[in-house]
Amino acid sequence: MIASALVYYQFNSIKNRLLTRVKRLKKPNYLVGAIVGGLYFYFYLLRNFLRGNRAPFSPAHQDLIQSVGALVLMVIVLLAWVLPHSRSALAFTEAEVGFLFPAPISRRALVNFKLLKSQAAILFSSLLMAIIGRGWGGGNFLIRAFGWWALLSMFNLHLLRSSFALTMIMDRGISNWQRRAIFLAVIAVAIAGIVLWVRATLPAVPGGLDMQNTEGWAAYGQQILRAGPIPYLLFPFRLMVAPYFAANFLQFLLAIGPALGIIALHYLWVTRSNVAFEEASLERSRKDADRIAAVRSGNWRAMRKPQKASRPPFKLRPIGNPAIAVLWKNLISAGQFVTARVWLILVWSIVLAAGILRSNAGHDGGIQIGILFFAGMLTAMSLFSGPQMLRNDLRQDLPATDLLKMYPMPGWQIILGEVLAPAIMLAAVQWLLLIVALIACPPHFQRLTLSLPARMGFAVAAGVVLPFVDLLAMIIPNAAVMYFPAWFQLGKEAPRGFETTGQQLILMFGQIVVLTFSLAPAGVVFAILYFTIAHFIGMPVGVVCGGIAAAMILAIEAALAIKLLGGTFERFDLSEEVL
Amino acid sequence: MEIPLIFSFFCQDELLAFGVDIAPPLISQTAPPVPQIDVSGLTKLYGDLAAVTDLSFAVRPGEVIGLVGPNGAGKTTTLRCLAGIIPPTRGAVRIGGFDMAHDPIEAKRRLAFFPDEPRLFEYLTVDQHLTFTARIYGVAGYEEIGTRLLEELEMTDKRNKIPAELSRGMKQKLVIACGLLHSPRVIFFDEPLTGLDPIGIRRMKDSILKRARDGAAILISSHLLHLLEEVCSHVLILKNGRKVIDGTLEEVRQRFSEQSGDTNLEDVFFRATGEIKEGT
Repeated sequence: MIASALVYYQFNSIKNRLLTRVKRLKKPNYLVGAIVGGLYFYFYLLRNFLRGNRAPFSPAHQDLIQSVGALVLMVIVLLAWVLPHSRSALAFTEAEVGFLFPAPISRRALVNFKLLKSQAAILFSSLLMAIIGRGWGGGNFLIRAFGWWALLSMFNLHLLRSSFALTMIMDRGISNWQRRAIFLAVIAVAIAGIVLWVRATLPAVPGGLDMQNTEGWAAYGQQILRAGPIPYLLFPFRLMVAPYFAANFLQFLLAIGPALGIIALHYLWVTRSNVAFEEASLERSRKDADRIAAVRSGNWRAMRKPQKASRPPFKLRPIGNPAIAVLWKNLISAGQFVTARVWLILVWSIVLAAGILRSNAGHDGGIQIGILFFAGMLTAMSLFSGPQMLRNDLRQDLPATDLLKMYPMPGWQIILGEVLAPAIMLAAVQWLLLIVALIACPPHFQRLTLSLPARMGFAVAAGVVLPFVDLLAMIIPNAAVMYFPAWFQLGKEAPRGFETTGQQLILMFGQIVVLTFSLAPAGVVFAILYFTIAHFIGMPVGVVCGGIAAAMILAIEAALAIKLLGGTFERFDLSEEVL
Repeated sequence: MEIPLIFSFFCQDELLAFGVDIAPPLISQTAPPVPQIDVSGLTKLYGDLAAVTDLSFAVRPGEVIGLVGPNGAGKTTTLRCLAGIIPPTRGAVRIGGFDMAHDPIEAKRRLAFFPDEPRLFEYLTVDQHLTFTARIYGVAGYEEIGTRLLEELEMTDKRNKIPAELSRGMKQKLVIACGLLHSPRVIFFDEPLTGLDPIGIRRMKDSILKRARDGAAILISSHLLHLLEEVCSHVLILKNGRKVIDGTLEEVRQRFSEQSGDTNLEDVFFRATGEIKEGT
């Protein structure tokens, strides 16, 4: 009776979710997003899949790979007993907690429901992993998919049961660190014993086995995994990975029986336990809901850890331009994850590494050019990936638009304050890379000679231009939020699926196109000034003058864009846009 | 007995805080004729849907007006238009004599809006919220005002907490502290009692009355009609985005009394909106 109600709920939830996704394709933003997202997934995943079956793992390595797979699984299972730090919490949504916890449903029925629910995700993940895995694993698709299903199902059950056991340990007053210390000590003793045992039975490394002899190392690795107690320790894990590695259906049928047996034992182990998970699940459902809302609003950092108070970057005085208050607020937000200590370590590591590499580089300048190229590449990439990663701006504050609109500030000040924080952070990273490039840049490379003034000139020009490029790069996604708010729906109601991946790809493409066009006038001015002044006065002066002029053009563009966006923000009506 | 400091901010007469009957707001005889809130012909359309249609009313200093109406009557939309959060489709809103469309900065400087759900920045501490708000409104010497507000709201020990570490009631209090930091002359409340405990409710009522006595123009949107009866001098009833009636509580009562002398706001509400009251 209750089981049928839970199945009914689960079935209809999935059905309605799919129907909603199909229905929303009537809206152009979702339709276009779905087409682009579909093409993306086709070219990166399905095309590979549709090419047909690839050859499975080499039979010579099959046994070794299976043993390594079993070893990896064993480590993951052991970690499930070490890493968790909270009480067992079955993942229920807030609505499920509200409806099911007060309902006359037994704890076991809730666990069964949770397991049933997790099967939908496991099946999807198995199919996805089998599709992705065809690139490197080969073999029959169905065998691989079922192999993944068996592994994920077992691990899901094991994780659940280990969390139940950990709850019981905590209920006995044993803290996480005590439990970890005991558990790690046991593992350490076990490993020491195994190492001694293996060393006693293992033949010495064959003479003349060099690093290039992969076949020799593979054979030796296989010998280690067959030595001492290791085969016995790995035996249950080998049983679990065996279906995945089956070379044909007959092997698969022979292998799936023991794996299903282990899954069944896990199931009984889980359902026979009687651990109170309700309180922890209640808390988790709330946290999950907050986290999902944060992630869907682009705040991926919320996944990492709970937020704590962080120190302000500077003292904010009560009188002055209010835009600075918005900058201050956004820097505090960023400061939760990028602390002064992180910056200090980053700066010292980069400068130190670059200095060491430079002093050891010899005379050909090969390593230095490598570092220079690497720093340049990272700087160029940061112009496109930076605006996607640093979102301490209007994208983060979109849910608080009401609050911002109440403030007695002209729209342009709000926009300026919003885009300044990520632009400053991006510029700081780029300046670091510039320092690295300057240190690494050799005076001579092949036939090219770059004097110190020339190198300094390029560094100064880049240092002046980059902050304004960053400002423009940050204005573009914020403008997208203003002009296409339906593409930035936030909170728990935010859409999911490959349509949103497609939307993100379109926005990223748009970012590249708009940024390229907005840089063009500054590029032209730079080129004219550089060639003219370099011809008459010299390259260093030319590049600095060109850089300053380009920065001025970019500043004018940014000012105009901020003014325009400010006006749009003042007229912006989110409720109307989303309707 | 020493009167606790917390009561001194919310009511000039400390006795009010100890459960003594609360007098209705005093409407000053010398109040300036210029309304602090002046709405004329306010209309807000969402596509073809009219959320608010041709709404006009005025609130003078010292007046507390209750905005009531069934769900979907347009109360929140009206409040959001008045606070400058959303632009009206037609009509004009003047706050403290400044037109919200033409001089929004000066208009917004004079108002505070307390939404039903406390809106806070998740990464700013209580203290940082006050610092941020002070800079936005240019409140010199905010530290002293902020400290006093936090003491009165019993939040001194929460200064370094972020919103995730505060209860809903505490978040509401922080919103109040931020809103009152710049001493607004026009205050909008959307369901001001949501999430408050009985002591908080009493303080909120006291605070509303005290602010009105000090000359603020206050608009409260709420479904709690008994609250409105306690604190409001005027009432405005909306239905389907249109004004059904507005006036002083007494005028509205008389209009819908139907010859019975003891008509309360609940009866008025049901008669004015044409809703059927259960048991009648």
